[in-house]
Amino acid sequence: MVRLITHNLLACHAKNCTSNNFPLQFKDIEIELREAEFNPDFIRGFLPKLEWKALIDAAKQLGDTSLPSEQPEMIDDEFLKNLHHVLLEIHIEEGAMICPNCQHVYPISNGIPNMLLAEHEIG
Amino acid sequence: MANKYLFLFAQTHEEFRLPEVQSVAELNGFKIDFLSPISELDVSRPFMIFGLENEDHARILARRCILIKSVCEFYARGKTYEELHNANRLNVPKWEKYIEDTSFKFEVSAYNHSIPQKRQREVVENFSYMALLGKIDMKNPEEIFVCVEEYVDKHGMTRHKHEGDGDCREIFFGRLIEEGSARQLVKKFDVKKRSYYGNTSMEAEISLLMANQTLAAPGKLVCDPFVGTGSMAYTTAHFGAWFFGSDIDGRQMRGKDNTPGILRAAEQYDVSKRIIDLMTFDVTRNPWRCGELFDAIITDPPYGVRAGAKRLGRKKPLKSSGSEPPHPDTPRPDDQPYIPPTKPYELSALARDLVLLARYILKPGGRLVFFLPTVTDEYEEVDIQTMLCDGMEVIANSLQDFGSWGRRLITIRKNTSERYPPPSFDAHGGSQPVDDPSVTHVPAHKDFRTKYFQGFRKELE
Ligand SMILES: C[S@@+](CC[C@H](N)C(=O)[O-])C[C@H]1O[C@@H](n2cnc3c(N)ncnc32)[C@H](O)[C@@H]1O
Ligand SMILES: [Zn+2]
Repeated sequence: MVRLITHNLLACHAKNCTSNNFPLQFKDIEIELREAEFNPDFIRGFLPKLEWKALIDAAKQLGDTSLPSEQPEMIDDEFLKNLHHVLLEIHIEEGAMICPNCQHVYPISNGIPNMLLAEHEIG
Repeated sequence: MANKYLFLFAQTHEEFRLPEVQSVAELNGFKIDFLSPISELDVSRPFMIFGLENEDHARILARRCILIKSVCEFYARGKTYEELHNANRLNVPKWEKYIEDTSFKFEVSAYNHSIPQKRQREVVENFSYMALLGKIDMKNPEEIFVCVEEYVDKHGMTRHKHEGDGDCREIFFGRLIEEGSARQLVKKFDVKKRSYYGNTSMEAEISLLMANQTLAAPGKLVCDPFVGTGSMAYTTAHFGAWFFGSDIDGRQMRGKDNTPGILRAAEQYDVSKRIIDLMTFDVTRNPWRCGELFDAIITDPPYGVRAGAKRLGRKKPLKSSGSEPPHPDTPRPDDQPYIPPTKPYELSALARDLVLLARYILKPGGRLVFFLPTVTDEYEEVDIQTMLCDGMEVIANSLQDFGSWGRRLITIRKNTSERYPPPSFDAHGGSQPVDDPSVTHVPAHKDFRTKYFQGFRKELE
């Protein structure tokens, strides 16, 4: 759990933290690899939603360099498979995600991130 | 022209039948001809006759709709057997191809009644004019002809087994196409047999009906922002969808083991791979980076009876303006150490927020499927209007009746491809003009919690 597809969709949402609040930075993480069903149409359909640079950086940090630094124009099967692996098969089980802006720490335990805000962080 | 099919429904959740067949037809890209305006259909009866382009569509419905017991090619109906047989004789072209050389059997049964064996045989004999020449095969017939008598439901009144035999409301006759096979999922997803559940878990049948309302299918992305113990995660994922769940209370999703409870139960149903992620957050303070993400939201919002409706914040703001609210210690990697204060979240505000959130976070054409509890005597159709906004349209509204209260499964479709901002979750900051009756009308589900406890105190005495 906390797959990179999810990580790519989460931004810090603390009060007044509205710029430089994405992507969250991983810290002290433990990862697991688990196979997922490959659905090329789903992956292709999701491409426009992705923040590519954030995804590449996160993948690199976790040791996966299979993806090109720019989204390719030609989408072939191999690319989709690599993207599938990066988005859905790498699970962050422990550790934390930290906001690059306000430094809020979102801890992850047993694969579930705690995205709750503290009282002083809500509007 | 469309052929007519006789649908036999399970005798339960009658208001859910039409929305379910409509959803499954839409998901599979075909149309159902209801043969009369939908508002005029009598859903209280377990038999309905619809037009479909072909038999395959009937099979698709029988394999996916939880409430279908069987589908037949429709031959005849009648208030009496005389009427039935006359109609059936006029339909010879439909069944003459089975005369020559098709093995068959007859099944005679009744709704709300059991027909004595002797009369069952008489009923079969009275079809002898069909002059079917094929072999009668009770085990493996090529075709099964179905004759069902409908008796008026005595609503809990007991009567002798065969009492009033023959005194039926109507009789239907057709050729069996397919037994409903999705109904057995109700057993498969039985909450009591699940490795993880809680007192908020949704019963299996309803969780399945909800999943069908979302049009769950492989490659779809569905989320439940009040996921609790995950009842609807299993059913939507069963139909192939990817699933995200979140809850303000991490313990609901986790249970006691290290492996989160929702994952343990998902494992049992072989769908854990499709649970993309589970997250702890208050839906009114959510971390989604952008909108137009999901194909559907499926949820049973808290309405304050079993699981409190709450949100981050304080009931009464802290007094002196200068003092900072208490600061959490360095957060530890679980949900326990720092629990931020929460305040109650009134149901009608929650419902409106949920629709606004759905408009932001659903893809165009996406669906919001959720329960709204209502006080039976006070409910009015406009109650639903009070929570709508531009671009969101109610396409189904099915009551599950518990007597003095009930809950409505509402299906809302996002009918716009316009982009909307995320909602402010500010109960009073409605963006609609104040003279709009949908704003000034006070819906019966407002303050549901209070009404619930007042109403039920009477019954407890
Ligand atoms: C009726 S229960 C849902 C039960 C769920 N369908 C199941 O199968 O267990 C409502 C859930 O909403 C959660 N909840 C209440 N307020 C919330 C909020 N503001 N944001 C997110 N979750 C909330 C509660 O913790 C509870 O688990
Ligand atoms: Zn931040």
